[in-house]
Amino acid sequence: MVAAPLPRTRHRRAFDILFRLGTYVALLLVIGPAAWILIGVVARAVPHWQWKVLTTPTHGTSGGLENAIIGTLVLMAGVFIIAGTIGVFAGIHLAELARPRRNGKESGGLLRTASDVLSGFPSIVLGYVGYVALVVGLHWGFSLLPALIILSIMVIPYIAKSTESALRQVPTGYREGAEALGMSTGYSLRKVVLKSALPGIVTGLLLALAIACGETAPLIYTAGWTDAVPNLQLTGSHGFAYLTYPIFTFYNQPGQQAHDLAYDAALILVVIVLILLVTSRIIVARTQRHADR
Amino acid sequence: MTPEEQPIKPSPPVEIASGPPSRALDPVLAALDPDRARPAHVMESKALKLSFGAKTILDDIEMRFTRGTITALIGPTGSGKSTFLRTLNRMNDKVVGFSHQGDVTLDNQSIWEPNQDLLTLRRRVGMLFQRPNPFPMSIGDNVVAGVKAHRIAKGKQLDVVAERRLREVGLWDAVKDRLGDSPFRLSGGQQQLLCLARALAVGPEVLLLDEPTSALDPISTEMVEGLVRELTPALTIIIVTHNLGQARRVSDGTMFFYDGKLIEHGTTSQMFDDPRCEQTQNYVTGRMG
Ligand SMILES: Nc1ncnc2c1ncn2[C@@H]1O[C@H](COP(=O)(O)OP(=O)(O)OP(=O)(O)O)[C@@H](O)[C@H]1O
Ligand SMILES: [Mg+2]
Repeated sequence: MVAAPLPRTRHRRAFDILFRLGTYVALLLVIGPAAWILIGVVARAVPHWQWKVLTTPTHGTSGGLENAIIGTLVLMAGVFIIAGTIGVFAGIHLAELARPRRNGKESGGLLRTASDVLSGFPSIVLGYVGYVALVVGLHWGFSLLPALIILSIMVIPYIAKSTESALRQVPTGYREGAEALGMSTGYSLRKVVLKSALPGIVTGLLLALAIACGETAPLIYTAGWTDAVPNLQLTGSHGFAYLTYPIFTFYNQPGQQAHDLAYDAALILVVIVLILLVTSRIIVARTQRHADR
Repeated sequence: MTPEEQPIKPSPPVEIASGPPSRALDPVLAALDPDRARPAHVMESKALKLSFGAKTILDDIEMRFTRGTITALIGPTGSGKSTFLRTLNRMNDKVVGFSHQGDVTLDNQSIWEPNQDLLTLRRRVGMLFQRPNPFPMSIGDNVVAGVKAHRIAKGKQLDVVAERRLREVGLWDAVKDRLGDSPFRLSGGQQQLLCLARALAVGPEVLLLDEPTSALDPISTEMVEGLVRELTPALTIIIVTHNLGQARRVSDGTMFFYDGKLIEHGTTSQMFDDPRCEQTQNYVTGRMG
């Protein structure tokens, strides 16, 4: 004979079911909008899709998106190199070198404060600062360099933060083991610690790149816009193309062609972000074959 | 008369009943001993006092570790065994508020002397931790991680080193077909043996073991204990353990810590069978712990 469950147990079961339900609802709330956006963009872009969009530059509000695609890829590469390097080094500094001092205070406080303040700035403010200081102040004009600098400043705090927290989550056992073998701090960082922190760092870089290629406001202030296919001229190029511009402006223009281009640009951006995601997963999987997970 | 001055004459054939022949007794072995010119005590702790901030953790620790022997550190939890052990290869130096008085020497040279290279010191004084901590790299790379860091060998030699050390810890047959695999799929005991192989690969003179078997099953524990015995007299071993049976089985000498003080030390049999202090008596008989 099985005894009837005690009231407490029944309570617990009810709570358990509620809890599960809650997590499913949350999951739906996250997946739902993402799927909705994805389907919306694909459904609106695919019916009129023409491959020549990829190989024709914009002409007014018609033509293709070659200039914008190349521009966005160049911006992403630039941000990856500039912000990636600075951000990862800043993160390493915060996590590894700015250890508590003898007096109990932490060094690296200044770097941390600067990073926090920076990440708190609205991107449009940064864009405006870039416009006043770089585009106008230094007579660089709307061009690649001011856009790169402002985008980098925007995402460096993200990269530094994610690098720092990834490094802090590395098990002490790795560090102690390396230390006890007589590895120098730098060597153990390169060969042992960074390896285990890599997934976190890559995720941070990915997020930063996704933000960089999806930004509009700071780019309108610093890169402007042009129909011309970008070259690598850093300053004084009278405008620089990128994908968010047609999405943001062409949609408000009259004419089917302008609307079509806006959706094409959105689709291409989504595809770029997806490729970014898959690439980073592959990198992580390849380097984490020996991970403790 | 020191061993060097003794004339070398063929020693009469003796039956070795048990254990390795002691070099202190056999003049031939003594003359052949590569360590004969070195101080008999590999490490010494001289009136060592250690504090973290205002808190004194170790007080007046006076101890000599004879080359080629196994010393067990026993004592109740929080008595400072780990702290003492970690001081011997300077793992405590970076702890906030660390300060020390007195001295610790390795071959009569202070470990804190300015011309003492920290990385070389740690190569000579290796360490094994309570929880196995293989690195996130393949099994083979784990064994030679320290060898690469110190540039002891490279290229094809690394494979030789890896095989030799894995054989030494008895892990070779189990892992020879999966040297490229993750170490985290090994059992806990195998992981600990791998860490031991990694520590041995850089050729340490002293090996510090901090409760190396407390996370292992009885069979793995027995394996590690057997290995530890085999490693002497080539190595000097200092082992922290809560397992009194283990201390008794493996060690030549025993130190009893209580509340940051070295209450008593002596040969293991004397410490367990005939301790001088009452506290030691209580601890080894299980009345305090
Ligand atoms: N990093 C540290 N900062 C401050 N105090 C510490 C630190 N590490 C250890 N202590 C203190 O030093 C004392 C001795 O600790 P230790 O770890 O050496 O003890 P133990 O004998 O190894 O104990 P157990 O058998 O539990 O491992 C304890 O009171 C502990 O709180
Ligand atoms: Mg301990």
